Amino acid sequence: MRRRRFLTATAGVAATTVAGCITQSDDGDDSGSGDGTLTTPESFEGELTVATYGAFVDSPSTSPGGWVKEAFEEEYPDVTLNWEVAENGVTEFVQRASRDASIDADVYLGLNVDDLVVADRELDDSLFMSSDAYALDNGDAVRDDLRFDPQSRAVPYDTGYITLVYDENEVDEPTSLDALTTDPYQGTLLAQNAQSSDPGRAFMLWTVNQYSADGYLDYWRDLVDNDVRIFGSWGDAYDAYSQGQRPMVVSYSTDQVYANRNDQDMSRHQVAFPNGQAYANPEGMAVFEASDSPALGFEFLDFVLSPAAQGEIAVRNVQLPATDHADLTDEFDQYALEPDEAVVFDYDELAGNLDGWVSEWAREIAGN
Amino acid sequence: MSRTGRAVAALEHHAVGTVAVAAAVTVALVFYLPVGIVLSEAVTVVPGVPPGVSVAPLIDVLTDEFYVGALAGVAADPLAVGRHAGNVLDWADAFLAGETGLPEFGLFGFTAYQALVSTVASVALGLPGAYVLARFEFPGRRTLRSLTILPFILPSVMVAIGFVATFGREGLLNNSLAAVGLPPVDLIGSLTVVVVAHAFYNAPLVTRVTVAAWETVDARAVETARSLGASRRRAFVDVVVPQLLPAVLTGALLTFVFTFMTFPIVLALGGLDLATVEVWVYALLRNLNYEEAAALAVLETAVSLALTYAYLRYEAAQASGSRGATPPDRVPLVPSPRALLSPSRLAVLAYAAVAALVFLGPIVSMVWTSVAGPDGPTLAYYEFLVQRQVEGTAVQTKPWPAVRNSLTFALGTLAVALPMGVAVALVTTREFRGRTVLGAIAMGPIAVSGIVTGVGLLLGPVFGIPLGGGYRLQVTGAVAVVAAHAVAAYPFVTRSVAPPLRRLDPAMVESARALGASRARALLDVELPLIAAGVVAGAAFAFAISVGEFDSTVILAEGADSYTMPVAVERYRGRRLGPATAMGTVLLAVTSASFVVIDRLGGRFERG
Repeated sequence: MRRRRFLTATAGVAATTVAGCITQSDDGDDSGSGDGTLTTPESFEGELTVATYGAFVDSPSTSPGGWVKEAFEEEYPDVTLNWEVAENGVTEFVQRASRDASIDADVYLGLNVDDLVVADRELDDSLFMSSDAYALDNGDAVRDDLRFDPQSRAVPYDTGYITLVYDENEVDEPTSLDALTTDPYQGTLLAQNAQSSDPGRAFMLWTVNQYSADGYLDYWRDLVDNDVRIFGSWGDAYDAYSQGQRPMVVSYSTDQVYANRNDQDMSRHQVAFPNGQAYANPEGMAVFEASDSPALGFEFLDFVLSPAAQGEIAVRNVQLPATDHADLTDEFDQYALEPDEAVVFDYDELAGNLDGWVSEWAREIAGN
Repeated sequence: MSRTGRAVAALEHHAVGTVAVAAAVTVALVFYLPVGIVLSEAVTVVPGVPPGVSVAPLIDVLTDEFYVGALAGVAADPLAVGRHAGNVLDWADAFLAGETGLPEFGLFGFTAYQALVSTVASVALGLPGAYVLARFEFPGRRTLRSLTILPFILPSVMVAIGFVATFGREGLLNNSLAAVGLPPVDLIGSLTVVVVAHAFYNAPLVTRVTVAAWETVDARAVETARSLGASRRRAFVDVVVPQLLPAVLTGALLTFVFTFMTFPIVLALGGLDLATVEVWVYALLRNLNYEEAAALAVLETAVSLALTYAYLRYEAAQASGSRGATPPDRVPLVPSPRALLSPSRLAVLAYAAVAALVFLGPIVSMVWTSVAGPDGPTLAYYEFLVQRQVEGTAVQTKPWPAVRNSLTFALGTLAVALPMGVAVALVTTREFRGRTVLGAIAMGPIAVSGIVTGVGLLLGPVFGIPLGGGYRLQVTGAVAVVAAHAVAAYPFVTRSVAPPLRRLDPAMVESARALGASRARALLDVELPLIAAGVVAGAAFAFAISVGEFDSTVILAEGADSYTMPVAVERYRGRRLGPATAMGTVLLAVTSASFVVIDRLGGRFERG
């Protein structure tokens, strides 16, 4: 008797605990999916969830997230903007979609072309809606050379240029990628893993562009012979650079904006554009197919493209704006450097090739 | 008997069994199920009648020279024993003639090689520490012993920053070398610095488990040996060493398994040319290449589980013979200033210098970075923390919630992992067939890589496991974080508790039971006080693992409300190191204080 009572009590507690973990998905239909276009409602209300990467809402400098939320809610007083940090970026949503788990975000901010390639490779249906479905007032201001999605789902909102940052007290400006394999630059370069780091991948793609898919591994063999060091993330490589470990690092062309803001010695933050080039890495935003309020999502995209938001985001995120009408300070213009020529692979070149290039590259380096 | 009295009696009667069942359910739900989801990708079911099973991804890995080097040929055609033997003989001839070098064993070979070197380094650095702590008495000895657990909780990103600052070109080591006129050494990105970082993490573990064993060495046996004419050295080798060996091997095995699955340290301090299997698993999973990642992870897990199983068999074989609890007396480290010049004291001083460089160097460098501005000492980074706390928006990470969450989760982990670990230890120390296999299964969380567990948690409990009819079993939030931490931590409780439990005289429990004590009462009144030291050690480990855990916390802590101190450190990291190092220093202070408290309270309990 005692045993039964005991077991019942235990089972009861266990059942309650487990029951709290069971959820039922609401199979609400996706308003806005399909080929139709969306119309602008007369007023907006409710909540908008925007997923993004951590640094956008919480970086040691003043990240743009707080400003964007405040300004957007001011413009749409009945709307609450919620940020959601996606620790694994778009990958997490691709995994969710492929496992039929719920997606509660309406917009993703911080997409690059690789993300789209991977999402389209893994999923039968598109993760994002086409922006053609909605009339964006500021859509025409986006620079054409930065548009990276042939299906115009992702709309660029800023861009970085990946290139070399060097300490002019220790090395001369490298004028070409070839120069990096020569003697003066032996043991000077810090780069990042193209498997795990955006700048690392951009730099590798730049070498594919320069030396072709057949020749880039030879170039990297020369770089390895010249003692390039490849770290797992931009942060680790930049830490080593900051500590004077080596005089040159693969980084962003906006490096001086940061250095200037923090009163650092500018001679240690010189930006080189080998061959007058740098690799463009535009960041985009897109509305999820699974969004409950896609019209509001596109209103958010439009807001981010407005002159005021473009200027504010560029400065706070230390990237260049993606539009030609951003409100920028002279100081930002002075220190945010742009190359004469931007190198970039488009979506079609990457879809089908990216995996192979990255994997061959990684095996080449790790096999040494 | 009153109703409540009966309930308490029933609870006591079934307590051990209930905790064991609850432990099994928790482990299944937040460990084996998630890991199974990931690893099952390596095996595909081929439709047909009857359905077949394809292990193609596994075979692909085993026959890929990049992964297994010279073994690829063997795996491709395992039955051609004669040909393989011939190849080995040919190689041996060529090698002896000096015409060829050692064969390459690919990524797995390199991973095992660096793990072996790391293990040797950790034991070499950890054992003298155990000797000093066990044999000498000096002020701060107990605190120092408590702090041996600290490296466990330091997030690898902080350790990497500290290592670059200590061993980098402008670092402490090179400045010291320059001061005595020696040329600088360039260590960052080399295997050396990765091995030293592994020793930083694991040598204290070796020290900790060895000191614990040393303190239970039976001094009377040493005296007996001495009185029978054995020299001091002879008595040490014949009496003390056999009693320490299991502990040293525990430390070495754990070190090997950890460094075999090493990942963040290699990513942060080594180049890609030092990549390990785990680094590859991480890259493949990130790229959603589940098949190949799972195949690699299966092989990696097989290696570490096999080692764990072999060790458990060894440990069981060592368990015979009970020990007295009369440890040898410690001698004062500094009886007089002149005594410092004796050879053994000089050796201790030399060791202290090396240990200070390896352990204090990175920690001091990190703390120093938190107060070193571009123009001299500054408190600006701490001001940043305070300002963030006061003015931070809802989306930004604030310091105080991080501290609060870390401590709450750690206490929750203690509350869950201690009973779990003790229950598992009780079950696996009983005599029954398959005990070692069960023991190895229970040790799974140590033997499976954090990356695989993390991704499994995401794909399983976090996204929700479909139950049919639109229902999903979903585990997220604080409960999930505590469950995941407890699962990661309980094997350490078990490992701390099982050896002393096995040495207990079963007659004591039996007499208590014969005198009418329930099983739970016997456990509380007889067994636990006798294994208190092990439980306290396990508690410290559980606390440390919870505070230091990063991967699954990030995945499980959905929303902004359940971030911990290591997560905050990572989020504060940008181009400037200052704010992250300030938060790292807060982490260091909070957890150091916690450990001293745990050890002191535990000490009282032990003596009690």
